[in-house]
Amino acid sequence: MMLADRNRDVATTPGWSSATNCAIALCAAITAMAVIATRSDANVIVGATRTVEIPKQADQSIDQLRAAYRRPKVIPFPKSNPYTPEKAQLGKILYFDTRLSAANVLSCASCHSPAYGWGDGQPRGVGHNMRVLGRRSPTIINAAFGLVFMWDGRAATLEQQALGPIQADVEMNLPLNALLARLKALPEYGPLFKAAFAEAEITAPQIANAIATYERTVVSARAPFDAWIEGDEKAISDTAKRGFVTFNTKGNCANCHSGWNFTDDSFHDIGLPSEDIGRGKFLPSVVKMQYAFKTPGLREIARRGPYMHDGSVSTLEAVVEHYDRGGIERPSRSELMKPLRLSTQEKSDLLAFLNTLTSTLVPTTVPVLPR
Amino acid sequence: MKELMQSARQFAIPTLAAFLLGGAVASALAAEHTIRQKGKVFSAGELAIKKGDTVVFLNDDNITHNVLSITPGNDFNLGAIGPGNSTPVTFTRVAVVDIICAIHPGMKLQVKVAE
Repeated sequence: MMLADRNRDVATTPGWSSATNCAIALCAAITAMAVIATRSDANVIVGATRTVEIPKQADQSIDQLRAAYRRPKVIPFPKSNPYTPEKAQLGKILYFDTRLSAANVLSCASCHSPAYGWGDGQPRGVGHNMRVLGRRSPTIINAAFGLVFMWDGRAATLEQQALGPIQADVEMNLPLNALLARLKALPEYGPLFKAAFAEAEITAPQIANAIATYERTVVSARAPFDAWIEGDEKAISDTAKRGFVTFNTKGNCANCHSGWNFTDDSFHDIGLPSEDIGRGKFLPSVVKMQYAFKTPGLREIARRGPYMHDGSVSTLEAVVEHYDRGGIERPSRSELMKPLRLSTQEKSDLLAFLNTLTSTLVPTTVPVLPR
Repeated sequence: MKELMQSARQFAIPTLAAFLLGGAVASALAAEHTIRQKGKVFSAGELAIKKGDTVVFLNDDNITHNVLSITPGNDFNLGAIGPGNSTPVTFTRVAVVDIICAIHPGMKLQVKVAE
C-alpha cells in the first residue's frame, strides 16, 4: 500500500505533465520488475547481518566440565567398514609393511610410528628419496574418532586417507596397480585377504579398509587425567587441576581442544608464520580458512613433539608461550587467538595439566610380514 | 496523444500496484526458519522449506562461525560471524542445499527447498 501511495504522489506532482507522470510510473514498474527479476535469478539471497541479544551462557561447574572429558566406552567403526579381527590383523601387517612404498623402505609406520606417539618425532615428514615434506606427520592416535583427515582436511574418511600417502609421489610413491601386483606376488598375503574379505581378488578398497580398521584400534591408553575425570582426586596434582581450569577458561584452549580427545576436528589459523595456506587451498574464498589447519588432539602430547602442523615449535613450553602471545595478526587468524596475559604460575599449571594426558607407554608388537 | 498517455497512465499505475501488492502477499506467505549454532551444532540437521522461505542463521554460540553452502549453484558464504549476530538467507529455487560451518565442518545442515 505504501508503494501504491508513493505512485499516487508521483502522479500528482505539481508542474509535471501527464506524459511525464505516466513515463515515471511505467519506468517505476519496469524497474521494480527488473529488480525482482534480478533477485529471482539468484537461487539464494543473503540479507544483512544484524546484532541479536542472546542470553549469556552460564559458567560451568568443575563437575560439569569434567563430565565433558569422560572417555568413550567403545571405538566407533563405520557401517561401511565394520570391525573384524581378521581385517584389523591384515591392516596391521599392511601398516608395517615397507613394500607398500616404491623403494621398499617406507611403511605407514615410518611416519606414524608407535615409538613416537604414532608420529615420527621429526619437524616435518620424510618421504620418497628422503625428501622432506611440507608438514609434520600427524599422529594416528584416536583416528577412529576423527571427523575429517589430514592437516588440511582433504580426506573425508580414514579409508580415503589410507591410500593417499601410498600413491603420493613425494611420499611412498607407489601406484595402486603396482601395489596390487606386489601383494598378489607374495603368496602369504592371499590367505590373509581371503580371511578378512572372503573375496577371490585382492583389491585397493580392501587395502584401504584393512589399514583404516587397524588404525581405528590405535586408541590412547588411560592416562592420569582419565582417572581424575572418573573420580580419583589423587590421580593428578593440584597444579594440574588448576591447569585444567585455566585450559577451560582464561587459556581459551578448550574452545578448540575440546572433548575427551581434545580436538574439535575443525580448522583454525593460529597465527604461525608460514607460507602454507592449509585448508585455504580448498576454500580459497573463505578468509578464515587461509593458513588454517585441523586442530590436533592432545592425547599422549608429551610424546608427540615437535609441535604444530609444521613442527616449528620444539617444546610444550614454547607452545604455551605461542598461545600466550597470540601469533601473527592477520584477517584469517582465529578470533580466539589473542594475547592471553597468562601469569608464570598459570603457564606452569597448564603444562602440568597437559602432562596428565599422556599414558604409561604400552609397547606395540611389530607383525611378522608375509613372504 | 494525450488520450494515449492518459490510457497508459491508467494502465501503468494499477499494474504496478497489483504487481507490488502481489509481491507483498508472496512475501507475507513466505515462512522464516531459525537455525541456531550453540555448542558447535546446527539446531537441525535437515530443514524442509518452501521456495521463497528465509532461513535465519543465528549465532547463539560463544565462538565465531562461518556458515557456508557447499552446493554448486546455491553457493553462499556468510563469512565469519561472531556470537550475537544473525543473517537471513532466502532460498528462491527448488533445490537441496548442503551447508556447513567452514571452521567447524562437523556442523552440517541440509536445506530441502520445495515448490
